[in-house]
Amino acid sequence: MNPSATQIAPTSLLNSIICPQNAYCETLEKPGMARDHWLQLVTTLGRFSLEELNQYHERAARMRYEDGAAFNPFKDLSEPVTSWTLDMLPLPLPVSEWNIIERGLIQRAGLLEKILADVYGPQELIKSGKIPAEIIYNNPNFLIPCHGIQPAAKRFLTFYAADLYRDVDGCFRVLRDYGANPAGLGYALENRMVVSRTFSEFYHENPVRRLWPFLQAFHQDFIQKVLLNHDDPDIVLLSPGPASPMYFEHALLSRYLNCPLVEGEDLTVRDGEVFLKELSGLKPIQGIFRHLADSQSDPFALRKSTSKGVAGLIQISREQNAAVINPIGSGFIETPALASLLPVLHQHLLNEKMILENHPTWWCKSMDSLNFVLNNLSRLTVMPAMSRSVKLPSDLASAIREAPHAFAAQKTVFPSSVPVWGKQGFRSSYAVMRVFAFASAQGFSVMPGGLAIVADEISHLLGNSFDKQQSKDIWVYSDKPLEHTHEIKDVRIVSNFKRGSDLPSRVADHLLWLGRYLERAEARVRLIRSVFQRMTGEHHLKDIPEIPYLLDMLRAQHIIPKLGENEEEFSHFRELAPHLNQALYHQEQTESIISILNQVQRSARNVRDRLSFETLRVINRLGTFSERSFRDPLELLDDILFALSAFSGLAMESMTRGLGWRFMDSGRRIERAILLTDLIYMGVLKNKETAHSNLEVLLEMSSSIMTYRSRYKATFQFAPVLDLLLIDESNPKSLAFQCSQLADHVEHLPKKNELRFSSPEEKICLEMLTSVRLLDLTSLKQGYSVIENIRLTDFIQSITSKMKMLAKEINIHYLTRVPSVPHYSSFPRDRET
Amino acid sequence: MNYQINHQTIYNYSELASISQNELFLFPRETEKQKVIQSTLNIFPKPQYTRQRVDYFGNITQVFMVQHPHNELSITASSRVMTLVPETPVIAGTPPWESVVQRLGVHEHPEELDAYQYVFISPQTAITSQIKSYAQLSFPPGMSILAGAVNLTNRIFTEFSYDESATTVDTPVEQVLLNKKGVCQDFAHFAISCLRSLGMAARYVSGYLETAPPPGKPKMVGADASHAWFALFVPGTGWVDLDPTNNIMTGEQHITVAWGRDYTDVTPVKGVVMGGGSHSLSVKVDVSADRQCSLEF
Repeated sequence: MNPSATQIAPTSLLNSIICPQNAYCETLEKPGMARDHWLQLVTTLGRFSLEELNQYHERAARMRYEDGAAFNPFKDLSEPVTSWTLDMLPLPLPVSEWNIIERGLIQRAGLLEKILADVYGPQELIKSGKIPAEIIYNNPNFLIPCHGIQPAAKRFLTFYAADLYRDVDGCFRVLRDYGANPAGLGYALENRMVVSRTFSEFYHENPVRRLWPFLQAFHQDFIQKVLLNHDDPDIVLLSPGPASPMYFEHALLSRYLNCPLVEGEDLTVRDGEVFLKELSGLKPIQGIFRHLADSQSDPFALRKSTSKGVAGLIQISREQNAAVINPIGSGFIETPALASLLPVLHQHLLNEKMILENHPTWWCKSMDSLNFVLNNLSRLTVMPAMSRSVKLPSDLASAIREAPHAFAAQKTVFPSSVPVWGKQGFRSSYAVMRVFAFASAQGFSVMPGGLAIVADEISHLLGNSFDKQQSKDIWVYSDKPLEHTHEIKDVRIVSNFKRGSDLPSRVADHLLWLGRYLERAEARVRLIRSVFQRMTGEHHLKDIPEIPYLLDMLRAQHIIPKLGENEEEFSHFRELAPHLNQALYHQEQTESIISILNQVQRSARNVRDRLSFETLRVINRLGTFSERSFRDPLELLDDILFALSAFSGLAMESMTRGLGWRFMDSGRRIERAILLTDLIYMGVLKNKETAHSNLEVLLEMSSSIMTYRSRYKATFQFAPVLDLLLIDESNPKSLAFQCSQLADHVEHLPKKNELRFSSPEEKICLEMLTSVRLLDLTSLKQGYSVIENIRLTDFIQSITSKMKMLAKEINIHYLTRVPSVPHYSSFPRDRET
Repeated sequence: MNYQINHQTIYNYSELASISQNELFLFPRETEKQKVIQSTLNIFPKPQYTRQRVDYFGNITQVFMVQHPHNELSITASSRVMTLVPETPVIAGTPPWESVVQRLGVHEHPEELDAYQYVFISPQTAITSQIKSYAQLSFPPGMSILAGAVNLTNRIFTEFSYDESATTVDTPVEQVLLNKKGVCQDFAHFAISCLRSLGMAARYVSGYLETAPPPGKPKMVGADASHAWFALFVPGTGWVDLDPTNNIMTGEQHITVAWGRDYTDVTPVKGVVMGGGSHSLSVKVDVSADRQCSLEF
């Protein structure tokens, strides 16, 4: 922590705020005196005790966590969560100051768009010498393949963001521009939701400008842009996927803008158009809200080995067959050296003075700047002129003299200070403000608010170290009464899009596996629970008749090692206990409970936009088991079972019965059927002699014991037990139930041939369903003979293999994604001459 | 001289390829030194989508897509080109290289501004202290620019050995300098890197070279190959093409297809394919002089 960061006692909030030297204090005009626009906030907060404020803080953190904003993209899923965590205290700005920011941003965005239109078009600016040619010739942000493209949406820059800071003198300055895929809008909206709920009363009593109208206008305008070309446009939000630190906001924005969240793999290019790969086939797409870096957007044209983009997207853009927002190549405006040219370009292109100043930047290209930088090297921050990602050479001065145009330098930034809540009170931190604008037919408009990014050390503010940064909600006070608007949490955008029932193959794949992992987790928990339940007394293992069965199952699930040739079977619980512990917690063991729960989380993350917030909350809870300590493993297992049941319940209640649900449910059914056939085989078929003693635990593990007891109130008998587990279609845990559900699912999957039972999946399901319905168990009532054993074993094994076959067919038919292989003609070798 | 050029590229896939997307730089461009009479393109299977355009550097390029399953993809470009005997520039009369570097930096004239873009490193060229030291031997202070470039070309020809097994398409120029081995593409990239390391403008030229059969033997069809060399910007003279693989200034037998900052800008055939498993590639180039008909054009 910065030594100047100061602890503030909450009770005397006003008096205790101490601002660091060399920083504008956002809160106080002078010690003990709050600025006007802070007064209410400070007074209100001052009424609360430390304990109360901590409660608010925790509530806010919990809301954000449960909304899924807190998935940690950097570490393992089980690690604690830190990315852009929310500080509950907003950063308020008065209307007078906001007006300057707003006008400045509109002006700047307009200028930057003009520059983009020129460099990707006539390049008059370099021909006339208004901008040095190096900025195009030696700049990785300038993409040659994008030159000459007229954007389909008619705008070279639609969505723009900038980082501002308030300098020591109280003026706002622009630190950085974002053009390719500005990040943070989703986080800003999420922060607003959480903060407005946390301080609900205060928020609603004060004229804080709402963010929702901006989003609505953005959404409408996006459609309008695409409508220029199409009557009934389909728009997608293109994300790099869950590995991206910004994935949360991609999912969030896709919901708000009501456009499917897709990854590069979901899209394909044909006939000069771009299509979404869905289960029933290809759907043409007219608009792409791109959240991919420029360099990743088209691996084909940009010759990058990335699987994230869409091969051919630049060609599509050239043909104007899809509106890509922002157009690929707009990352050009992020070039550090460009900022140093803007004051002159404002004059030249707009004939205006710059409203918002730049952060002082010198591009060594000009002799004056070069000399200044070399003379002040120790006081300046040097950076590559064209890209922030390139490393600096060790001997900076001689490198700069060698190629001055390759370097730029900036003054040290002294951002303003803001209070941030820590457990013991407020401390002082530094802030930059990310603000957003979009272009409509009427020009650029600016979102009245934004994301304040704060960090204890200035250096952490300037890099992409999201894990060392926190964020705040920016509140813009209005001088007019607010128009009545909906809260963001109530947002239900009336769709202007087709709302098809189809879904991308990739999503279906993840949903299927989500279903399978959920079921697998549940079965695993039940198995281990059954073992633990028998271990409570000081029994010798040999005294418990069903132990061999349980050990068999544990081995079949790779939870305990296979018995070596001369190895003796476990005789005491204490020998078994370490293995069971591993089965619960061991991360490296792929079949441990924790690993399977991680798989559940991963699958869920991949389809986050398809699941309700409530469902995601349950999934998030599943990730916390490894962090919590349980004295009794049974308590842990029951807790997990409870969460899994909550998930199932929510899925039953809240998921629409579309294709997504069918795939998830199919996953569950397939997994459950396979596990059930395993349980039955190991328990009552593999060893006929011990079968009888295993009936109770078999019912327990297949969670049918309550039903059995209520129905038969008798001892455990083969015929009724197997009837309940295999044939009884009213038992949701029975094999017949799984088969009939699966038959229904496959019947409803999209297919080319309308004839019933024309697909292999349907045939397999029909076969299974028929054979289970025809299974006759009456002879079992006379006794469990060898013949019965053979007949049932055949039946069970045939079902197991058919289930596996079904899973394979569904995969081939609907989910298989062919990998794409780039090939470049190797240079034809010249003959020796 | 009139040439008929056939350039065939065939991919064979071990498994069915479902979609293939390609970009071509196979049609020779018009230059001061050559006229293009006709260029045609044949692709099998027939692509569902084809577009032709002139790229950022003025080259002719096509993109095409084959969108149904295929085992084989064959691309044949045929061109008839008339090349002229270039005027040999007076080597000693060209300005000292430092003054050229200085003029490029100022780029007062449009052609100098255009040439200036070829001063900077590009994906397959590099500027290192080793490369710069190598270049400086050919460019002592005050050396006339073209004399220096001829000297550099000669040194590369003499000191580097032609070895097809030494490099691949992606071998960095630093490696080429280290091993002093490579093919025409490597020599061109290395020469370009040398010239750019001193601030001169050099571009990569992709094309063909007519080769003579061994004495007394008939010329074999398809035995030719694509070729590559570099061009140097000389104020007052324009772009001068030099071929380090053969230690010559390009002549009537050099046919230019396209130019760019380096190979990546003008890769003759570049593609991405879905499925297809592993693939084998065969390239046949045939450059035949059409001496009888030359008067017709």
